[in-house]
Order: sequence, then C-alpha cells, then structure tokens
Amino acid sequence: MTPDRLRLRAGARAIALGAVAAAALLLPSLAGTYYIRLATGIYMFGLLAAAWNLIGGYTGYPDFGGAAFLGIGAYATGIMMVRAHTPFPVALTSGCLLAAGVAVLMGSLLLRLRGHYFAIATLGFMLVLQQLAANLEITGGGSGMNLPVARTFTTFYYWMLGALALAIAAGWVLPGLRVGYALAAIRENQDAAQVLGIAPLPYKIIAYAGNAFLFAAAGGIYAYWFTFIDPPTVFNVDFTIQAIVMTLFGGPGTAAGPLVGAVILKSLDTVLTSRSVFLHNVFFGALVCVLVIFAPRGIAEIARAPGGLLQAIRAELRESRL
Amino acid sequence: MRLPEPLRVPAHAVGTVSVAAQIALQNALNGLLIGGTYATVALGFSLVWGILNIVNLAHGALVMLGAYATFWLFTLYGVDPLLSLPLTGAALFVFGYALQRGIVNQVIRAPFLITFLLTFGLELLITNIAQAVWTADIRSVTTSYSGWSLSLGPLTLPVVRGASLLIAFVVAVLLHALLTRTRLGTAIRATASDQEAARLMGIPIARVYAVTFGIAAASAGIAGGLISLSFPIFPAMGAGYTLIAFVVCVLGGLGSVPGALLGGLVLGLLQTYAASWLGPNYDNIVAFSVLILVLLVRPAGLLGRAQRFRG
Repeated sequence: MTPDRLRLRAGARAIALGAVAAAALLLPSLAGTYYIRLATGIYMFGLLAAAWNLIGGYTGYPDFGGAAFLGIGAYATGIMMVRAHTPFPVALTSGCLLAAGVAVLMGSLLLRLRGHYFAIATLGFMLVLQQLAANLEITGGGSGMNLPVARTFTTFYYWMLGALALAIAAGWVLPGLRVGYALAAIRENQDAAQVLGIAPLPYKIIAYAGNAFLFAAAGGIYAYWFTFIDPPTVFNVDFTIQAIVMTLFGGPGTAAGPLVGAVILKSLDTVLTSRSVFLHNVFFGALVCVLVIFAPRGIAEIARAPGGLLQAIRAELRESRL
Repeated sequence: MRLPEPLRVPAHAVGTVSVAAQIALQNALNGLLIGGTYATVALGFSLVWGILNIVNLAHGALVMLGAYATFWLFTLYGVDPLLSLPLTGAALFVFGYALQRGIVNQVIRAPFLITFLLTFGLELLITNIAQAVWTADIRSVTTSYSGWSLSLGPLTLPVVRGASLLIAFVVAVLLHALLTRTRLGTAIRATASDQEAARLMGIPIARVYAVTFGIAAASAGIAGGLISLSFPIFPAMGAGYTLIAFVVCVLGGLGSVPGALLGGLVLGLLQTYAASWLGPNYDNIVAFSVLILVLLVRPAGLLGRAQRFRG
C-alpha cells in the first residue's frame, strides 16, 4: 500500500471511530428505554470480555474466576454506599482499587500455577469469596443487600460506556508497551521469555490486576444499576464464561475482538431469550461446544483464512482431532 | 436400685470424658463415609485427566445423570437403587464412549483451554437439558431401608452410607484390577505414559481413549447412584462434585486409584472436622484452602510423582 492510501485508511478509520463514539454518546437521547437498557447490558459484557482479554488473551492465562472481582467491586460499592453513604463515583473507584489490590495478592500465589491448575484455582477462589460473602455480616449474608435507587438509569449507560472505553483503550495500547511485549513473550513461551531476562510474575500480575480492576468496575456499576446484589448473582461463573466465549468468538488478543464478540453474541442471546427460555439456557453451552470445535481461534481468523470458511474449518478439525 | 460400684463409676467417667472423644470418633466415621463418596466421584475424573490429559468439567454432570437414572429406575419401576447400579454404570459407559468418540475427540490435541471450555460447554448443555426435562426440583431416593442405622458402640452408622462406602471400595478395587491386571489396562497405561510409543506398538489410541472415557463415565454414574441414596439430587448438583473431584486429584495425584481413594478420604475427613469446628457453611473455603496449600507446597499430590505445571 502506498503512504497515501495508508493515510487515507487511517483517516477513514478515525472517521468511523468518531462516528461510533458519537452514536454511542447520543444513543440515550435517540432510543427508547428498552434499547438503552439493552445497550448497557451489551457494554457490560463487552467490558467483561475486554477485561478477560488482558489476562486470558494477551497473557494466555485463562482466568476462570473473573467473577470474583466482579463480586468484590459490587459488594465494595454497595457496602460503601449503604453503610458509609459514599457518593457512587468514590465507592466505585474504591471497589476497583480494592479488587486490583486483591488481584496483586492472590495473583502472586495463583499466577505461579499453569494451565488447568491456574484455571481451577481461580474458579475455586471465586467460590470461596461467594461463600465468604454468604457468611459475613457486613455483606448482608445470604439474603443479599439493597442499594439506593438512582434517579435516572441513563447514568448507568454512560458509566458502562466509559468503563468499556477504558477497557478497550487498555487492550489497544497494551501491545505497543513494554509490558505488552513481555506478556506476548510469556504467552508464546514462558521459559524462552525467562531466558531472555523477562521475570514473568510481575508482568502477569499487572495483567491480572488490570483484569480485576475492570471486572470490579462492571460489578460496581451493575450493583448500583440493579440495586440488589446477593452472593450467587455477582459471584457467578456465568459472567466469566460469557466473557471468555465472547473473547474467543471475536478474537482473543485483539483490541476490538471482545467487543465484537459481545455485540454479536449478546444480541443473538437477546433474540433467543425473547423466543424461549430453554433456548437461552442451552445457547451458551451449545455455542461453546461448536465454537471450540470449529473455530477455536475466533470467527475473524476463520473469515480471513485463505480458501474460505469450510476449508479453514476442515483444517482446524484435522489439526486437533485424533 | 443401686448399681454395683465397679460398673457405675467407670460409666460416669467414660460418659464425661468420651463426649468429646465420641464426637471426634463420629466425625471420623462421617468423614470416611463422605470421603468414600468423594473418592468414587474422583476415580473417573482422575482417570480421564491422567490418561487423556483432559480436565473433564462435565464429570459432575455425568454424576448427576447417574443419580437421575437411579432415581427414575427406582421411582418408575421400583428397581432397588443398589441393584440398578450396574445398569446405570453400563448406560453411562455407552454415553461416555459416544461422547468421547463423537465430540471430545475432535479437540483432543488442541491446547488445554479448548478442551477445558468444551467440557464446560458440555456441562452447561447437559445440565440445562436435564433442567428442562426434569425441572429444577430437588428430589431424593427414599427406600424402605433409608432410615436404618447400625450402632457400633457409641457410634451411629447409617446403613446406606456404610453400603455406599463398601461399594465405593469394590468399584475402586475392580478399577485398579482392570488397570493393572488386564490387557486393556496395560494398553490404557501405555497410552498414558507415551502415546506415540503406544501407537507404534499397535494400540488403537482413539479406541483406548473412548473406552477410558466410558469407564470414567460409568464410575461417575455409579457415584451418582450412591449419592442419590444419601443426598438430594437436582440438575445443577454436578458442578460442586466436579470441583471436589479436582481437589481430590490434586491431593492424591493423577491417574491412580489408590491416590483417588486416599485423596477422597483425606478431603472427607478434613471437611467433616472443619464443619464441626467452623459450622457447615465453610466447605468450599476449606476445600479451596487445601487445594492452594497442596499446589504450592506439595505439588505432585500426597502420593503422586513429580510433574510440570508451575511457572
């Protein structure tokens, strides 16, 4: 491509980005309540997917306990608002920082594990927090906790949009940073990275804490939005799984992939839910199976493959079956 | 009437001293009983993980299917749960064999996240279909002998729990014999230790994998049948058992029957004692703490060999 055309492409991209941003900012004044709610939900899952992408996609450490941080964010926000009457932005920020702090502590233990062990240990950590929240008094125990009701729910739309933008920006700038190069090296071959003088643990902890911060942001906004939280709804493995599936679907280790995955799958899920609850329930299970068998590297990869969709799928199958 | 002196005094002494001891002993017995169940659940999970290198997150869903098979055979046809176990096991073997041949085998050589997610997806599917077909109601199997219990001195032993433990041991011994004494077992172990070499020796790897998965599913089904005798059953019951199987495998090491037995009993005892000290709502916390501690301190399990999983 000539420099001219490159500049043209960059220009077109900037215009498209600006148009998307303008549309996102203006949507509440154009669309009805139903669509604002729907968009807020989609942003939330885009946020979760983009957050998971930091540790699961860029670092190659499949965290199955992301909901642990979502729960921390939700409960920290709730507790501060209800018991200390802290304004929402302060409570939310504190929740995010608390989650990041917990991630640094737990990460320094858990990120020493590999593969299955890391995945299950993070899942176990999430279940421990769920049980803890159900046993403690400050969380309201098993009966959950009610948050104050906000005056307008358009607020949540903008909060979720802001957090989503932050998550996507993080995924956008990360690959160009020193941390990003280190994480890519760790993902591709940790032992080789170590030989090159990269101490893996601190870098992995950075990615893990970033993922925790963003999950907590989603949790805090969710808590204020829904005004009620209890242990099984926020410490819920479904949040993590959906984030993983959306990321894999859209393309792990890319900045826009998680959002694309979230938009497509959440819209599809909404259509299915309106038809039958059963379809909604089996949707993600079936989707996970089909996705990992036929397109484990995401739909973008398949679409880009030479020789077209079918051939790419066939090659994928040949490679991983016995 | 006055009791004879020699009898009354010791009775009094034993009575006061032994309240604590009696509770500790009863806890030990309860821990062993629940540990036997854990071991049965973990046997198949450990086998699949050790031999196929797949952490089968749908294992708990197979346990759930076994529990429902037992429940329906008992409720609809009056088949005694203890007699229907072989039937449940056989049905689950066929299901497991087909599952591996048709679905899991498609990704058997893919990176672990893929196999991990696939089995998770299967768990979601099986659980949600079960919920749609059988509803989310909590059910239980109550036989004529469900309430019976034996008194062993100061201890109480519920008959079904004792029978479950006995059957758990029988299943473990049979599985161990199958793995160590038969041609099939040799082929399975050869495949686990070196897949390429096993293939060169003429072992049909894909079939060995499918049979292993079938055996694991059968033992999960039997575990589910035993569980249905003493615990409530519902479609989402499986996830908890999968996590327990994982902890048991970490405790006992992979792919070995004695390891699964030991891990199951240890976890059962730990949880029972922890429940009596902390209250019943801390079981996950205890299991997880044990998991992390073992992974960080004794990573190969209590009996296991060294393996690579830390970074």
